[in-house]
Amino acid sequence: MNKEKISSQEIIDLVSSKSSVSKRVAEEFLKVLISSIEEALLAGEVVKIKNFGTFKLLWNEPRKSVNVQTGDDILLAGYHKVSFTPDTILRDLVNEPFAHLLPVELDSENPEPIQEKTDVALDPLRIFTDQAAEIKDLLSEIQALSSAGDSKILKEESEPVLPVESTVVAEDVYKLIQEESVVEHIQEEQVAIQIPNEVTEPVQTQKEAGPIQESPVEFVYEEKHQKSIVTEIDKQQPVDSVVSIHEERQFNDENKSGQSVNSIPELDSMEFLKDIKPRRKRKVWLLIVIVIAVIVGLSAGLYLFCPPVTDFTNSSIEKVGKITDNVVASVANLFHTKPKQTPPVARTIIVPKDTMVNDSVDDEVAVVEKESVDSLQVMFDNPRVYTKFIGSEVVKPGNRLTIMSKKYYGNKDFWVYIYEANKENIPNPDRISEGTVIRIPKLDSRLIDVTNPRCIKKAKELHDVYVKNKVN
Amino acid sequence: MNHKELIASMAAKLNAPKSIVADLLETTVTTCTELLVEEKTIGFQSFGNFEVRKKEERLSVHPSTQIRTLIPPKLVVNFKQSNILKDKLKNLRHNE
Repeated sequence: MNKEKISSQEIIDLVSSKSSVSKRVAEEFLKVLISSIEEALLAGEVVKIKNFGTFKLLWNEPRKSVNVQTGDDILLAGYHKVSFTPDTILRDLVNEPFAHLLPVELDSENPEPIQEKTDVALDPLRIFTDQAAEIKDLLSEIQALSSAGDSKILKEESEPVLPVESTVVAEDVYKLIQEESVVEHIQEEQVAIQIPNEVTEPVQTQKEAGPIQESPVEFVYEEKHQKSIVTEIDKQQPVDSVVSIHEERQFNDENKSGQSVNSIPELDSMEFLKDIKPRRKRKVWLLIVIVIAVIVGLSAGLYLFCPPVTDFTNSSIEKVGKITDNVVASVANLFHTKPKQTPPVARTIIVPKDTMVNDSVDDEVAVVEKESVDSLQVMFDNPRVYTKFIGSEVVKPGNRLTIMSKKYYGNKDFWVYIYEANKENIPNPDRISEGTVIRIPKLDSRLIDVTNPRCIKKAKELHDVYVKNKVN
Repeated sequence: MNHKELIASMAAKLNAPKSIVADLLETTVTTCTELLVEEKTIGFQSFGNFEVRKKEERLSVHPSTQIRTLIPPKLVVNFKQSNILKDKLKNLRHNE
């Protein structure tokens, strides 16, 4: 910034050259100018010079201060100050370099881009629903593949073991327990496994008690049963290790599919050994599938029930959308790779399938809900046709569309639909003339769901549209 | 005292017609304005200095609406009275 100081002498020179008067006249003039301004100011007047500015006297109040050296309080005397307020012309001319800059409202920056985003934000939504549908298809395919052989077992897996079955098991165990010595040895070795010692006693007592059993005992029976099989067939092998692994891996299967155990009691221990490794893998898969299912469920729930998310306007929707996309993609990958990694034996699919069935149920629920939301969007997008009416009202003084809306639909925001149905009779929604017959349209209950923030939001959007139309 | 009154008082002091005084005043004003636009400081002895100051951009928050607004930088004309004028004004009694 050029801080070059122009003295009054230079001003005099400039003025004299410009208005072609002698320097003496110009000097005199300037002196008189300043003196008259001073006089006017001393008289307490305000001096206004056109196109230049206003001189005014301001009184500065006396104030207390502290002497920096001594720390004593001192009183600074009040004084008059000549304030100069530049005229708009001068102000604008001086400020020309920065004139193009305008104050920016920082908070108002946000709503604008969000409104632009609304259209974009819908795209992830559609992708998400599409992918959800894909997953649904995949699940049903997988279901169809294995359901032929395993549907029965699957059902039994989800249900608790029937007492009838357990009695059969019990009878089997009855016989097997006659070789008590072997079995009990194994049982004692198996203390590390979840079966408490006490349980062995109830088992023995139930030999006399008969087939009335409780569920925990059933498991013991079955386990025993299994162990005995193993020991019978393969006594040379290190029994406890086999049994323990077998125990861990088979627990679910044997618990759930008691019948299958009964019907195929001669399962080779070799077969079990073969199965051990894949099963371990499957357990990991099972965990992953469950975790993914939970994430998908949560995101779907979030997506459906969180108001800011349903708004579409919030930028968080995009994030959620992306996350869910990722999840969906990973789930899809999982399902794609699954058949390759797991052996195609029907039985091996059972365990993951079990969870997948549950997943598919969850997903179906989610998908159904998403579809309902989507249909809502469709309802929003399509122009509404009003054919059915639930009533009509004659406009009285003080009656308003919002009041009718509150009366018939429970929320004043839905007045827009009444307006839409009576557009030809209402030139201005703000002022409805007396005596006009307003027909109250019958609306889809989903459209005027007071609890759904989307409905209210849509109504407000419509409100904006109509109010703006009116203004224009 | 507005523009016309100022011209009238000056014309009386200078014994000159108002039109000439008005012209001279206008010329002075335009000269000063031009100099200020060039961001130069004008110093009138015994009166004060006119200078251009730059106000930096700032963030203002509306007290009630909490709307934050970025105020752009701007150049303003500032007048600082000279000590001579200040001393003259000291004799002025403060009425209020």
